[in-house]
Amino acid sequence: MINALVAVAMIICAIQAIRVKKLLSAALWLAGCSAMVALMLYLLGAPEIAVIELSVGAGLVTVLFVFAINIIGDEKPVTEPGIPPLIAWALVILSIGILAYLNLPLLSEVIPDLAEIPMASTTIWTDRMLDVILQIVLIFVGVMGVINLISDSKAKEKNQ
Amino acid sequence: MASTLILLVIGLSWLGALLVWWVGDKRSALQHALAIFFSVASGAASIALIFNASSSTVINLDAGGVFGQFTFVADGLGVYLAAIATVIGSLAVIFSVNYMHGEKGLGRYYAMVLFFIGGMAGLVLTSNLLLMFLFWEITALCSYALIAFHNDDPKAVAGGIKALIITQLGGIGLLAGALILYSQTGSYDFNQMIANPGIINPRLLSGMAFGCLIAAAAKSAQFPFFTWLPDAMEAPTPISALIHAATMVNAGVYLLARFYPAFEAVPGWKISVILVGMISAFISAIMALFANDLKRVLAYSTISQLGYMVFAIGCGGIYASQFHLLSHSVFKALLFLGAGAIIHSVGTRDMREMGGLGKKMPFTRFVFIIGALALAGIPILNGFWSKELVLEAGLTGGPVWAYAIMLITAGLTAFYTFRMVWMVFYGKPSEKHIHDAQPAMKVALAPLALGAVVAWLLAGPFASLLQSTLPAHNIHPASTMEVIVEVIKAPATYVALAVVALGLVSWWQRENLAGVSKAFKWLGTIAENSFGFEAVNKFIVRETQATAEELRDTQTGLLNWNIAGLLIGLIAVIIILVMGG
Amino acid sequence: MTNIPMIIMLAVLGLVGVGFYALLATRNLIKVIIALQILVKGGLLAMVLAGRIQGQVMVGQSMALTAIVADTIVAVVGLALAVQVRKHHGTIDLKQLTKLKR
Repeated sequence: MINALVAVAMIICAIQAIRVKKLLSAALWLAGCSAMVALMLYLLGAPEIAVIELSVGAGLVTVLFVFAINIIGDEKPVTEPGIPPLIAWALVILSIGILAYLNLPLLSEVIPDLAEIPMASTTIWTDRMLDVILQIVLIFVGVMGVINLISDSKAKEKNQ
Repeated sequence: MASTLILLVIGLSWLGALLVWWVGDKRSALQHALAIFFSVASGAASIALIFNASSSTVINLDAGGVFGQFTFVADGLGVYLAAIATVIGSLAVIFSVNYMHGEKGLGRYYAMVLFFIGGMAGLVLTSNLLLMFLFWEITALCSYALIAFHNDDPKAVAGGIKALIITQLGGIGLLAGALILYSQTGSYDFNQMIANPGIINPRLLSGMAFGCLIAAAAKSAQFPFFTWLPDAMEAPTPISALIHAATMVNAGVYLLARFYPAFEAVPGWKISVILVGMISAFISAIMALFANDLKRVLAYSTISQLGYMVFAIGCGGIYASQFHLLSHSVFKALLFLGAGAIIHSVGTRDMREMGGLGKKMPFTRFVFIIGALALAGIPILNGFWSKELVLEAGLTGGPVWAYAIMLITAGLTAFYTFRMVWMVFYGKPSEKHIHDAQPAMKVALAPLALGAVVAWLLAGPFASLLQSTLPAHNIHPASTMEVIVEVIKAPATYVALAVVALGLVSWWQRENLAGVSKAFKWLGTIAENSFGFEAVNKFIVRETQATAEELRDTQTGLLNWNIAGLLIGLIAVIIILVMGG
Repeated sequence: MTNIPMIIMLAVLGLVGVGFYALLATRNLIKVIIALQILVKGGLLAMVLAGRIQGQVMVGQSMALTAIVADTIVAVVGLALAVQVRKHHGTIDLKQLTKLKR
């Protein structure tokens, strides 16, 4: 029951995030969506991932969004869609429909028990070494991105 | 050992490419030094690789179900071509220190050269046909970028685009071959097919054979795709020496030689190969007779000599063709680099404006004449031995009329070679201020000149290298002495020498033969228009560009449409998976 | 009787659908990044779910972790790009940013 509630809240947040006109509110709705995803992850038995999602997805990314939107200025988004809405709807329904048709029948009602979960750290460090290296590289890229953002805002302050 | 060396050969040149580009054009001295260091290191690794040649797979990277195993094999054919690519590559880089001194965009130049060297080594060392296609395209890309190096010159850009389009369209033949191989055997490894061509459906095998012939003809500038090579002469001269004489254009010959055991039995394939080689050799020799641009003469003669190699493959003379490839790489790189020294000094490529340079450029004259004699097939230079072997292969394995035409071509070769040497170094001296080759140029020219004189001594070791590592190619081991005796004893040698001498004499007596040359004036006009094939090639290039221009409309540049395209692709892939699964 | 995997799968499909639609329809660069975020959130939920169902909990979770990191970096770099685009072109409307086309 609680799963269903969280799912509904999650999707409402997502829809709001792309519906609202003000970018700042959109970022906040995104944070809400992220929090709901984190809750769902917790319910699924992945508390570590949930915490990371909550802190990074709902926290850090939102801060960055607010930061960037401040620099850019909350310009009024164009309401006119990029491609005709009919085509957009058709494509979305088609792709989601196919995915649903393929996936939903495979799901049984029971989830296997969390009988024996190995330590998250051992799996990550032994089996998924490549992932860790990739993450390090990505974080490095991210740091450079943040530096770019900050240096730009400083340049703007100087100009003013 | 061999696996490390292969990685070093490819990796060092690519690492060098990155570093040279990264250093930046402001530190040009460092760029020269880095380029020399990495190309020479890669050359050393490839020479070490020759002593580790074997027919077994030495590197095997699993690249998943779609791409198969990325395999590298250090067999005789591969290691010696890799050695040619890297050694002549490093000599061209050394030559560039003087030739490209003070040019803008050195980083781009050296990065592309080093990227090319690595790509070429990879092309000949891999045994995965898909990977080979990838390297094939890398070399084509570098060739394009370097032909169009002076990108403010519309002629250079047009030449680059032409080379790119023609070789790419030919490359489709190779891709088709790779896909056929995959569909039939479930892997891209071509060695199993070469060992046992029967595993492929005969009709598909014939499609593959002719696809590879088209790819090879486009890459090696053979009939009917040969007109891109003369236009590629807009490239800086070391590039012409490296890419358009010694290495990349050999890729087509390599491809045919590599697959010869598999395609041998395909009906009509051998005769097609003989025809392609013969027509290219003959008509480009005629075009070389009438050209006045020094580099264009060399380009036509490259096409002609490549025609000899293709012809030899068609006649079953794999060893002869590869030996001629080795000789040709050495003497043609020598000729091109010598021509580079001349052009650098005189400032023009038109031979009519040269003349009498011999006195002022004694070193260049010396090495250039060695190269020219080797090209003409004068004993005892390397070109003589290998050309005799090719002609002998033609006599034993090919039709007589083709042999006769190749003989005539040998005479023509001698004729245009002497015309070229005469126009450049002798005759009426021009009043220009001329300097001889600069130090780095000499460093690059001297080993090549030495190579043109003594490389034929390697005939025996070369034969045993090929024989021991290429079980399917049916190459007979022979010592250098046996090769020499074979060539000297064969009556064909003397026929060929007589024809070459005839070519020489007719150049000597050109004043007395003025009537004949007048009678052939019409031929000159046609030859300057590349016998009409220029129009065919231009048509291909124009149509490709027009199609591309029309396809531009599908690129809206709007992100939303691109996402829509992605989604449609996703839906299509899922539907195919569901249907197929 | 509630079928929890079914509910989560529906939520995943909902998120992915919303993300796709936003990518197709929106012309605002910031909104595009938000849409990507939503899309990837659906993906990582699906990864954890798949790991759970298949009994390979940790594989799913560590892949989800990688996805979170990658996703965050995409947001950061995307936002930095958006800021630069705004600075150079004065707009973040995609339709006016088709300068790559001649």
